[in-house]
Amino acid sequence: MYKNFGLDKKIFQDILMVALKNGGDFADIYFQYSFSNSVSMEEDIIKSTSESISLGLGIRVISGEQSGYAFTNNLSIEKLIETARTASIISKTSKKNLSFNLNEKHISKNYYGLANPIVKASLPSQIELVQRAYNSAKKFNKNIVKTSASLSSQLSYVTIANSEGLLISDERPQMRLVVSATAFDGKNHTTSLSNNGGRYGIDFFEKYDTPENIGKRAAEEATILLSAKNAPSGEFPVVLGAEESGVMIHEALGHPLEADSIRNKTSVMWNKFGEMVSNPNVTIYDDATIPYYRGSLNIDDEGYETENVLLVENGKLVGFMNDYLSAKLLNHKRNGHGRRESYQNIPIPRMNNTVLAKGNYEPEEIISSVDYGIYAKSFQGGMVNGTGKFTFSLNLGYLIENGKLTTPIKNVTLIGTNLDILKKIEMVGNDMGFFLGTCGKQGQSVAVTSGTPTLKISQMTIGGSNDE
Amino acid sequence: MTNNLTQTNTDFFLDKIENLVKFAVKEGATQAQIYILNSDDFSVEIRNGKIEELNKSISANLALKILVDDKVATASTSDFQISTIEYLIKNAIKRAVYSEPDEFSRLSDFVTNEFNPEELEIYDNEIENLTSDYKINQAIELEKIAMSDKRIKLSDGSFFGTNISEVFVANSNNLLGSFKSSSIGAGVHLHSGDDDNMIEDGYWFNAVNLNKMMSIEEIAKKAIYRVTRLTGARKIPSMDLPVIFEAGVASSLFGFFAACISGSNIYMKRSFLADKLNQQIANNNLNIIDNGRLKGAVGSIPFDSDGVPTKINKIVENGILKNYLLGTYSARKLSLKSTGNASGPTNFIVQNGPFTQSELIKSIDKGLLITSTIGQGTDTTTGDISKGTFGLMIENGELTYPVSEITFSGNLGTILNSIEMIANDAEQNRSIKSPSIKISNISISGR
Repeated sequence: MYKNFGLDKKIFQDILMVALKNGGDFADIYFQYSFSNSVSMEEDIIKSTSESISLGLGIRVISGEQSGYAFTNNLSIEKLIETARTASIISKTSKKNLSFNLNEKHISKNYYGLANPIVKASLPSQIELVQRAYNSAKKFNKNIVKTSASLSSQLSYVTIANSEGLLISDERPQMRLVVSATAFDGKNHTTSLSNNGGRYGIDFFEKYDTPENIGKRAAEEATILLSAKNAPSGEFPVVLGAEESGVMIHEALGHPLEADSIRNKTSVMWNKFGEMVSNPNVTIYDDATIPYYRGSLNIDDEGYETENVLLVENGKLVGFMNDYLSAKLLNHKRNGHGRRESYQNIPIPRMNNTVLAKGNYEPEEIISSVDYGIYAKSFQGGMVNGTGKFTFSLNLGYLIENGKLTTPIKNVTLIGTNLDILKKIEMVGNDMGFFLGTCGKQGQSVAVTSGTPTLKISQMTIGGSNDE
Repeated sequence: MTNNLTQTNTDFFLDKIENLVKFAVKEGATQAQIYILNSDDFSVEIRNGKIEELNKSISANLALKILVDDKVATASTSDFQISTIEYLIKNAIKRAVYSEPDEFSRLSDFVTNEFNPEELEIYDNEIENLTSDYKINQAIELEKIAMSDKRIKLSDGSFFGTNISEVFVANSNNLLGSFKSSSIGAGVHLHSGDDDNMIEDGYWFNAVNLNKMMSIEEIAKKAIYRVTRLTGARKIPSMDLPVIFEAGVASSLFGFFAACISGSNIYMKRSFLADKLNQQIANNNLNIIDNGRLKGAVGSIPFDSDGVPTKINKIVENGILKNYLLGTYSARKLSLKSTGNASGPTNFIVQNGPFTQSELIKSIDKGLLITSTIGQGTDTTTGDISKGTFGLMIENGELTYPVSEITFSGNLGTILNSIEMIANDAEQNRSIKSPSIKISNISISGR
């Protein structure tokens, strides 16, 4: 794709040389051309369609532990050279220039559905998918008063060139269908969202999930919420359902194992390598190579081939997620976790698809082991700080009474400290579900998923109400 | 010299978007609007005395909206080649056929092209003239001052950044306007405490004029204060307590309130405040205005993303909801007038009360000063809110010990009606400006 914009191997080579003129240790180029479509339906009509193009090129120079970054939307040679010079201002050594030759490499394994990307499908066929999802939610029952649905799809072409001679391109599809449903019972309103998608082609909606099911899930949940009560307040056993509870692992363990916070010692995990950080029933990995998943990548945004990275093995901390710089400074092996939101951003260590591996318990067995507690069904999201305090917020949950799910409960935040909670994972189920998310870190958003089986945490603080 | 170039640049873009609007109409658009945002950014992050990351870039984005007989299509691009932009316009005209007619989505009626952005004092060329070296040194110095306090164990980095932006808008209703704005910001994030009970917090300040920027000494001092006061924080039992939301936390609470009164959430019934206009929704000590015209303030803009001039809107008067935040579309849906808030709240100002923060603290026998929160946990439809919480215990009118790993939960409607006291300590560097507020009773969950 870069050739369509007047770029070639020689230009990349020349720009990298300019970037290293002040004596940096490493330089790379990230070229991106993305086009996106979205179709949205609200109040029974297709309100608008939109199309967007994102074009630009970012240049990074690393000198020791320092990184300089600059990008441009204008791909003229003069602007590219100026951008390379700007990126190089952090480096002021008189080291001899590196010598290298760019060698164009090709992607060896493809994890995307590139045959029929939705972004290239006809507008009427995209509209039809949105209408199907919308109508399914709207007509679910008479309580549903407002619905919206939107389909967004993208195809992103990226090329990475670096001063180690790498030149590699990747063509990345992404799509997501989102439905929002608002229910009303004559007195109260409730809203729920549902979504599905990933790096699939248009066959996703035949093979994996239908627009009707996505719409129905939002409407069903909004309806259940009409009868939901406030959660109780205090410390209780918590069963995390398999559907979306991956959020917990993403916050509690994923972020603290991103290697930038390890090398900066801002993660509570920085000195725990080789130690037991969880019960032995817990194994966690981050796998960017699951075919078609929202968080999957063929190569990371530094051009490194992705892999399945083991993080916690039977409770023991065995791995971190590294980008180029963290791996170098920590003297670790790279493992393909350098990601960025776009050409406007520097790559940093990020998650892809973070998974807590299946255990042996039947989900029903786990629920029935709880006398009184909380069952988590769907989530708004979560957050963690460097010291390991993390929260996640439920959109819908249930009370567990005498081993059975009873009253639905609404909007509640759970809080814990990761080192404490990981040791309280008592039971691990034999099922599995994935949360589709967009993770924000240092102002950059990237697509991720996180998966868990049904889990039991012996005790966690529930931010409910004290009066009920 | 710099001024001349800038002038030429502005005229160049105004000319360009005017022509693009004409092109769209010639190609068959009933209405067309073009919006360009140019941005010149610098940021530097320092960790342990050295540059960790330096970013310096100029970017541009163009957004367009086309209507063909009340059918809408939109597009955006960072590729400014004229062939790309013309393709997007033509394709939007083609795509519009697939939307269904929506008369509410017509462009806003012409109001004025006299926006006088200079009056708002949101652009300061002294910010544009700061050198990279100056900004780097300020960030280094900021971290150094913060780390000179023995109680600080670890730096999570300091930051210094500037932004110069210019917006251009033109449409087929004869709208043509532009404005330039600047901003400067700095902050530092710190860790204190012991290995097994580390606390993190920090402070960050930004301004649109250099002379309103806080000194790095003051920023460091605030960051140190914020993190050290939480050192040794512990969990408390679950209970109902009177609480004080400190100014910063109250600001995010009113940010959630602003979302609950945004036009799209109102007409979509995704707000517990839908149909509550001119009703008592809060205690009568609460007064809020949204003022897009406040001189030299971070939230000020001459016009919103519809090209509608901003103004001063009464939002809450003596506890009565007086206005929603409306853009052209949501206003028409609700048979109301645009409040110039298509881009969201501007300077959303909760009026100071008569008390100092310490008077609020003194009024409480047993309660909690909430100093920061973590997590989402808000629902505009119901007004429910539940967040991870950090703060300081209040006993007999005095701050006693720090607490963490708890949550507060309640409902925004109830909270607004339980505002007992409002302090006079609003911070000016936020677009949502709220002083500390005292709430009579809220659920705290802990042990």
